[in-house]
Amino acid sequence: MVLNLKHMSIAIAALLAIQVPVLAGDALAIRVGRAETIANGTVEHAVILVENGRITMVEQDLPIERGIPILDRPEWTAMPGLVLAYTRAGLGGGSASMFEPQRSAAKELYPASSIWETLRESGITTVGLFPTGTGVPGQAVALRPMGKTPAEMILSESAFLKVTLTSDASAKKRLRDGFEEADEHVEKEQKAREKWEKDQEKKKKKKSSKKKDDDEKDDDKDDKEEKDDEPKVFVAPEPDEKVTPFLRWRAGELHAVIAIRKAADYLHLLDVLSDEDVKFDLRLPMRSETDIYEVADKIAEQGCRVVLEPRTAWHPGSRQDRNVARELSEAGVEVVLIPQYDSTSSFERWLSDVGFIVKMGLDREAALRGVTLAAAGMLGLGDRLGSIEAGKDANLLFFDGDPLEPTSNLEAVMLEGEFVSGEVDL
Amino acid sequence: MRKVKRRALVMSAFFTAVVAAGVPAFSFDEDEEGEESEEEEDDDSPAWFAVTGGDVYTGVGGLLRGATVLAKNGVIKEIGYDLYIPEDAEVLDASGRRVYPGLVAIDASTRVVEGTVPGPAREEAVELEGDGHDHGLGFEPEAGPELPYQLDQELFDEADDHALDHDEQLVAAFEAVRESGYESLDLDAAAGFVGAGNDLGDEFDPFNYNLVLTLSAGITTVGQSKGVVKLKRYQIEDVVMADRKLISLSWSTGRAKESLRDKFKGAARYVRAYRAWEEEKKQNKDLPEPSRKGVDSTALKILSGEVLARFSNTGRNDLLEIARLAQTYGFRPVFDGCIEGWTVASELGRAGASAIVTPRTRTAKDERLQREAGSSIENAALLYEHGVQVAIIPGDKTIDLMGLAGRDLMHLPIEAAFAVRGGLPQDAAIAGITSVPARLLGVDHRVGTLEVGKDCDLILTDGDLLHYETFVQVTVVEGKVVYEKDKEPYWSHIPDLAPAKAE
Repeated sequence: MVLNLKHMSIAIAALLAIQVPVLAGDALAIRVGRAETIANGTVEHAVILVENGRITMVEQDLPIERGIPILDRPEWTAMPGLVLAYTRAGLGGGSASMFEPQRSAAKELYPASSIWETLRESGITTVGLFPTGTGVPGQAVALRPMGKTPAEMILSESAFLKVTLTSDASAKKRLRDGFEEADEHVEKEQKAREKWEKDQEKKKKKKSSKKKDDDEKDDDKDDKEEKDDEPKVFVAPEPDEKVTPFLRWRAGELHAVIAIRKAADYLHLLDVLSDEDVKFDLRLPMRSETDIYEVADKIAEQGCRVVLEPRTAWHPGSRQDRNVARELSEAGVEVVLIPQYDSTSSFERWLSDVGFIVKMGLDREAALRGVTLAAAGMLGLGDRLGSIEAGKDANLLFFDGDPLEPTSNLEAVMLEGEFVSGEVDL
Repeated sequence: MRKVKRRALVMSAFFTAVVAAGVPAFSFDEDEEGEESEEEEDDDSPAWFAVTGGDVYTGVGGLLRGATVLAKNGVIKEIGYDLYIPEDAEVLDASGRRVYPGLVAIDASTRVVEGTVPGPAREEAVELEGDGHDHGLGFEPEAGPELPYQLDQELFDEADDHALDHDEQLVAAFEAVRESGYESLDLDAAAGFVGAGNDLGDEFDPFNYNLVLTLSAGITTVGQSKGVVKLKRYQIEDVVMADRKLISLSWSTGRAKESLRDKFKGAARYVRAYRAWEEEKKQNKDLPEPSRKGVDSTALKILSGEVLARFSNTGRNDLLEIARLAQTYGFRPVFDGCIEGWTVASELGRAGASAIVTPRTRTAKDERLQREAGSSIENAALLYEHGVQVAIIPGDKTIDLMGLAGRDLMHLPIEAAFAVRGGLPQDAAIAGITSVPARLLGVDHRVGTLEVGKDCDLILTDGDLLHYETFVQVTVVEGKVVYEKDKEPYWSHIPDLAPAKAE
């Protein structure tokens, strides 16, 4: 097999410049007993070829070209690195209500924190860090738990816009106001454009007697050509910093993760967003009781992912367990599973908690997706990581058994081609 | 009575149309009927709903055995026998059941319509236990529209360090739960805080189990401090029926009384001046309209009948004073509580009063008094006898599963049954939980009785509504089944009574 160097892009080169993996430029073949690829199911006797921090090939019993070092671990099971898509790991909580859509969690990033090592050791290779607060408190940042500066860590500056919506008029109004302000801006821009066009026309009429060769200009913003002291190009008024995220959300450049508490909140959310065509996922903090299954079909219809903790809740007013993750998944909703709490012990038992709700009926594939590819998708990184596939970042976990089995140990963690946890000898 | 007469007149006007649609044994049409049916005809796929074979207690005097109630798009179209039921109609077989109008609770706590937010999940509660006794057990209402996000790192690392105490904490937490009574914590205050001054409809929770339990009691309409809400399930649209109609007035201290009297005096004077002006304007067009300056707008609304004045007074003297005030200025007072009302029932009747009573209230007589005083089981009966409109409400206006059970909203018919025990006629007792509260809430044009043109809100019971063994089997709101006893976990284990026996 020939090493496929064509896929090496400038982006990787830039990435390598800061990352300097142990095997930089080199290739490594990892032969494991089985690989949970997520993208293509379970592959037995899989060989994963890792090159320059990326996976270049995954195949059953792939013959390995001479010269490529082999890590032969038939007793291991590989899976993609865990994606902790919704967390405040390493940072404090807070629930002040605000409307600051432009805020970024990146500002809170502290690369020297010991939390990143904790995360890596727990198999978490991608993190979605959200800003504190409720209402519209800002945008989350996606990062790798590794690096000396925020710039080294950050994968995506605005992974999602965080929004909370409860069933009450003020929360609904706040969200509506956000869109209204965006509307106002669009209107303002349009008016400014019309005014500008009129002015241009007037000028043209004036000048037409003198100059015939005056170029017809439309609203091409990039055109910097100037013949008079007046700009020939329409300059749109700068939107307010709080309006920009809503404009981007509408334009599909940003998506939101909207926290709700109960089924009714979802109906009220749909009520607010009824006139908008915006993408959003849902965050449902698991409570002692839940009624979210009442709207599972509606959520599936909308195509939202739902972020929740891997645990069961009671049917309201009873002590009857309901596996919400399973019910949502069966309704066709993609579930994103996060640890119970932002605590070291929760990170460590994350996968066994997931194993518990799989035991309680959640589809195993859906559960594994929920901690990898679905979570990556929620951060807008679904094309880049979250599965064992050629072309994806080599974020890999190696277990000595089934990852969802509480007795299995995490033997090694690979982050972009580099072993960051566990002792591995070739 | 006036209303029925009016309807009867209208009925004759539309009689031909109704006859064409079937042969109704019983059919009163609403005024708007003509317009509505024209509009509806444009509707491509009307939702038909029929309840067949039940003994229909219409609430307007008629009992129709084995009759059919037919509704179109949630509004009753016909009530009678041998009705033509469209093929695509959803048919609910009510044979052996009694059919009553959906009950109306004049007052209900916000939790019925807004629900409550359940506490954090179990383990979280336990881990937080060390933080403070009342904290973290999951009952602390959150202040404002906040969600408990994942808690911070340090807190839980600390909790991890105390892992050894985990079992102890678990036991303590569950004991505390038992002691505090899981359901007992009143979240209304918090819910009220969240929604203070906001739109009722934006807080409606159509899934909350308090609402389901309220429906299980047969209640389909509830009064809230901000307005009137129809208890729809699975949807949040069109649940607010009306704004607040009952305005609470204080009749307590001398100062409050004086101020209230002055307001009514001013408003009454204005009304007189305005009427005089209206008359005189016919002769003299330039006559200026009397000034409304300094006239209390609420008092004016009360005098015009737009809203109703509600007094929470219970003592005899207060009741008499208010009755006189009402007669002086010409409005009809609503007495909430009205415990000693039975001692002055004729005076209240003369004042055209309405009363909201809780027949099971017990207040001892002040033994120093020679006169009759304190509560009486006959209160509702005596008030009714003297022409007071009686609405009935339990002492606890929420869904309450703790402590002394049976006095909350789930037992609204039982409360009415106690009024019957005190001598209130059965019909009046049922009116006290249907049509009278509907009228006081200003929604009697839509709910309270089973009449053509009204909302198809009805309940099916396995026996007499006021019998203690009776359970609501099915609740229908606007032509949709919203509660079925057999299908909800709450009362499905209780067997039906024998099918209703002929009386």
